Amino acid sequence: MPVGGTAVSTPSGSAGRAPVAAPSGGRPRAGGGRRRGDGVFVLACLLPALVLFAVFMVVPTVNVFRMSFYTWSGFSPDMRFTGLDNFARLLDDEQFVRAFQNTVALLVVVTVVTMGLGLFLAAIMTRQRLRGRTLYRFILYVPSVLSVVVIAAIFSAVLDQENGLLNGALRLLSLDALRQVWLGDQQLVLWSVAIAMVWQSLGYYMVLYMSGMASIPEELYEASALDGASAGRQFFAITLPLIWQNLRTTLTFFVMSAVNLSFVLVRALTGGGPDGSSEVLLSYMYKQAYTNSSYGYGMAIGVVIFAFSFLVTLLVSRATRREPLQF
Amino acid sequence: MKESTRSVLLVTARTLAVAGCVAVVVAARTTTGWGSLAIMLAALGGLLAVLASYNRRFR
Repeated sequence: MPVGGTAVSTPSGSAGRAPVAAPSGGRPRAGGGRRRGDGVFVLACLLPALVLFAVFMVVPTVNVFRMSFYTWSGFSPDMRFTGLDNFARLLDDEQFVRAFQNTVALLVVVTVVTMGLGLFLAAIMTRQRLRGRTLYRFILYVPSVLSVVVIAAIFSAVLDQENGLLNGALRLLSLDALRQVWLGDQQLVLWSVAIAMVWQSLGYYMVLYMSGMASIPEELYEASALDGASAGRQFFAITLPLIWQNLRTTLTFFVMSAVNLSFVLVRALTGGGPDGSSEVLLSYMYKQAYTNSSYGYGMAIGVVIFAFSFLVTLLVSRATRREPLQF
Repeated sequence: MKESTRSVLLVTARTLAVAGCVAVVVAARTTTGWGSLAIMLAALGGLLAVLASYNRRFR
């Protein structure tokens, strides 16, 4: 840290590297290490958080794994150990496979569309001198602060078969052939949910990318412009590499929201219907555990969700790892 | 091959690979079954592979 024009460096991990002066009146610390009292104090500070973490995170997660080996209704005192039977049942459950397919489809489509649009809009808002861009930013960000249930209500109104905004607009434009039962067609309903998810999260990711882009020094763009770089070239050679850490973070968010947000939206917008065609993994797990009274089977689905989310997040992290650039 | 031509070809190939993977995911969802799910997961793996190949030169 520069102090009075002099740079003062703090030795880090310097055991045996540099002599450290003992505090006055105290014993000299062997090798610059902490005193035993410091460790106790740190442990005492961490203990409440560790206890809360263990009680509310570790124990329930372990219980999910444990319960997946039992058959239990969720209410009765009878719990029967059935080993891997719940997982074997999953293999023959077509509805589970459909829910898994829907989750993967939402994960891929919503991530690609939201990330592409978010980056595009963020680049325009940051690099182009648009009139009223603060207003655009506000309008795009508003859905992010709304409750998912409110968004479900909005999209129920927009996608209503008879009086919905979308079908009404198509009728007004004499495009009756394009009118659809957006929430009642088994092939279309998941994409209606996907549109709602993109609409809800686009502004959030756009603002996140904008914050990364705003921190890039203007001189880099000026220098590249002098070298004849186009706007597209600047985006791929300067902007994208310098906001890479933001992109990595948001990719993890996308995985989580594809699993979590889709559940709330499906639950409030379609209830998993029609005929289970918009069911996602979490909504199916919820249905099995709490509506169908198959708690153990629901927890087996939970284990699959955990493994899938963990694996995808790990692969994303590995695929996108790079040294952060200093600028 | 010129460096700029190679770069354009690489970007085009990656874009097509991403579009192809997304199309496979959308198409495979229309039929329910473990086979279709495996195809969708393979397409997801393809997207991650494209991402990793783009990122490789920055490591």
